[in-house]
Amino acid sequence: MAAAHDETGALGRRDFLGVAGAGLVCTIGGRALEVRTQADAARADVAAAALPKPPGAMSAPPGSLPVDRLTFAAPGPQPGGVAREHWIAARTVRWDPAPSGRDAWMKRRIPGPRSFRAYVYQQYSAGFAAPIGPATMPGPTLEAEVGDTLVVHVRNADERLRQAITLHPHGVRYNPEYDGAYLGDFTRAGGFIAPGEEFTYTWEATPDSVGVWPYHDHGPNHTLNTFRGLFGALIVRPRGAPKPDREYVLYLHSFPPPVTGRARAFQCVNGRTAAGNTPTLTAKVGDEVAIHVIGGDSNHHTFHVHGHRWPDAAGRPVDTPTVGPNEVVTARWREDNPGRWLYHCHVFAHQDAGMAGWYIVDP
Amino acid sequence: MRAAHAVPAVVAAALLATSAPAAAIDYPPPGDPGPVVQNPRGKHRTLFVCKRSTKRRRCFRSIQTAVNRARAGDTVKVADGTYNEGVILKGPAKAGLALIGNRKHPRRVLLEGTGLKTSDPHSQNGVQINGASDVTVNGFMAQNFRANGFFAVNVTGYLLTNLVAKRTGAYGIYAFNSIGGTMSRSEAYYNNDAGFYIGQTPKQTRPRRSLVTRVAAWGNVIGFSGTNVKYTTITKSRWFNNGVGIVPNALKTEKFAPPEENVIVDNDIFWNNFNYFPPQPVPFQFKGAATGDVDYPTGVGVLLFGGQRNTIERNRIFGNYAVGVGALEQVLLKFDLATDPRLATRTGATADAFELQANVVRDNAFGAAGADLNGRDLFYDGTGKGNCFAGNTLTAGLNLPVDNSTFAACTTPAAANVPNPAAQATALSWATADPTHEVAWVRHPHKPIAGLTPLEHCVLDAGGGCQGQPQ
Repeated sequence: MAAAHDETGALGRRDFLGVAGAGLVCTIGGRALEVRTQADAARADVAAAALPKPPGAMSAPPGSLPVDRLTFAAPGPQPGGVAREHWIAARTVRWDPAPSGRDAWMKRRIPGPRSFRAYVYQQYSAGFAAPIGPATMPGPTLEAEVGDTLVVHVRNADERLRQAITLHPHGVRYNPEYDGAYLGDFTRAGGFIAPGEEFTYTWEATPDSVGVWPYHDHGPNHTLNTFRGLFGALIVRPRGAPKPDREYVLYLHSFPPPVTGRARAFQCVNGRTAAGNTPTLTAKVGDEVAIHVIGGDSNHHTFHVHGHRWPDAAGRPVDTPTVGPNEVVTARWREDNPGRWLYHCHVFAHQDAGMAGWYIVDP
Repeated sequence: MRAAHAVPAVVAAALLATSAPAAAIDYPPPGDPGPVVQNPRGKHRTLFVCKRSTKRRRCFRSIQTAVNRARAGDTVKVADGTYNEGVILKGPAKAGLALIGNRKHPRRVLLEGTGLKTSDPHSQNGVQINGASDVTVNGFMAQNFRANGFFAVNVTGYLLTNLVAKRTGAYGIYAFNSIGGTMSRSEAYYNNDAGFYIGQTPKQTRPRRSLVTRVAAWGNVIGFSGTNVKYTTITKSRWFNNGVGIVPNALKTEKFAPPEENVIVDNDIFWNNFNYFPPQPVPFQFKGAATGDVDYPTGVGVLLFGGQRNTIERNRIFGNYAVGVGALEQVLLKFDLATDPRLATRTGATADAFELQANVVRDNAFGAAGADLNGRDLFYDGTGKGNCFAGNTLTAGLNLPVDNSTFAACTTPAAANVPNPAAQATALSWATADPTHEVAWVRHPHKPIAGLTPLEHCVLDAGGGCQGQPQ
């Protein structure tokens, strides 16, 4: 591994390109690590676990600016809005990306062993009293209307990896206290939630927040832990706007070898691979259907639904739009075409490796 | 002390009465529980304790001897039997230690306090953990200790599980000045103060939450008490047949007032009508409060006595004769903070620590769908700000105030809280001007619950417990 670094600890260009194709690049504590194997991932975990708690911006570390010492209050909802409260625990779980053991589209067996240690955001009841349902990937979808605040209690409930995590949102408004990002010496409280700790983020749903957005870990080991499954979505609607009859969030992503220990990546939708394991979407003729697609790894994906077209942002009909890392595209239509349909990423190497699923439309 | 205050003496007495810590007990001095620590790493040993060694296994005769030999991260396994000793785990050298008795049958590993000399520090607590973080105590019963059954102080993290605490001088299962921890699958009864207690939680930016789950407290003066308790979730538990069920409270006798950010969710809180006041016999040595002149209110399910950003949600609350859920500002602390400018600095209290703020009471089911009514479902004196009520199923047909004027709905912007001095005075009089301790009661018939018998007045049985109650 040392050969991959120059004297500054950075990866050389050639090394970077090599890693980018096969694994991950993680920078932890100022050190760039190439992560090609599970052993590499374990070393990254050790490095992340060894990071000391940041002193806090208020301690005026070298290089700090006056803005680093600003303090911020938690915002409240606008008149007519409400505070929508969520309790989310981050924890590792054993995860099988293909519980059926089969690819129902390709009629093939997916050999084991397939399970590995994933990392999830899991919804809990108030006070982290009990989990609400099983662990899922993505984590709970957080919904709000313009004028609301999202009050999100995040607990680092993992006892194995012993490293800090966060929850960083896109799309909503927040002050630096609730950014949920590790910033080295300038990290605020919400940017380093150590094992056993919890932090409460408060975000505002503003008029320009309307849409669908990702959230994910942005702690000191964010790349590896996001690839392990620490991601989810939030939806902000105009006040009083109705929900579509059928609404789905689909994360297109992969579990690479450093996460799984296998030779090849699992190409996944929402943490599962291959039709029959990935979400089976359903609708009836006449339903308004919205499918929000988020790019969840370092690749670009193209989202295709057989038998359907929908307008893009410019109003032009599309059926295979591109979605990049942490970008979101929404496919939305009034259903008029019953049958069994496929949806899949149209990057061939992805679709044939499992990034596909069923869409069932009843008459 | 009460004479120094402008509030009426009877009011002060009532306020002092609620869950004052048993300060007369010889506790270790509180310290800084420190940062979260990693679990001890390396190779750990298992030490055995039993009443008689065998050829196959030699063991220590006393638990304390084994604990003294154990190092951080080791396990001490204790065989069934009665051990006439209290155990002390002190300092970081005992961090991560696991003290394991009989997890399935904790009563079979009995720590007995009877007969221990008063001067012996081991007579105070069944197990005391002081400054040793992440200790596990699993599978024991402790009874007849002068102070507490199981007691963790100055620690970051603990697991107290599968325990039974009976007839102690103060608290059954107790954590003080500590950060994070779990009390679970345990039972506490016949304790002179609270069955379960968490107090003086240090303020934290990224808190470690404490969890009280799947426990039962009955026959105590209070089921759960928490002076200045914070970041604690109480859930999936039964609080019944106590004088009061659950009382988070703000007091100046402990640091870091007020109680904050606690969640009381999915509990059964019922029949808390145990009138333990003399001259009626009680199954413990009734000492009164350490602060003197104790008149604990009885017949109350949950009482917020001061408190901020606490949530009481989705509980089943029934058969409490005075009130199901009450909320009362801490009048005495309000006076103290106003008249003693150094009090806040000295104790780490906030300037508004007396005030009720942003507490939410929602989605609770009162009165068992009409089958087991509370005397009143709700009481709130209307003081403070941001306190609200929503989605509760009320059945008693009676609240305090009777016009329901203080029960602000949960809206945005928050509906104003409107103080009701008459309601406050009425509630205080329940605890202060009533030698029977039952004047507030509005009795209703109880619905039967298999295996349980309501406890209102104790008639002692041959074993020193109350007739009709479990042993």
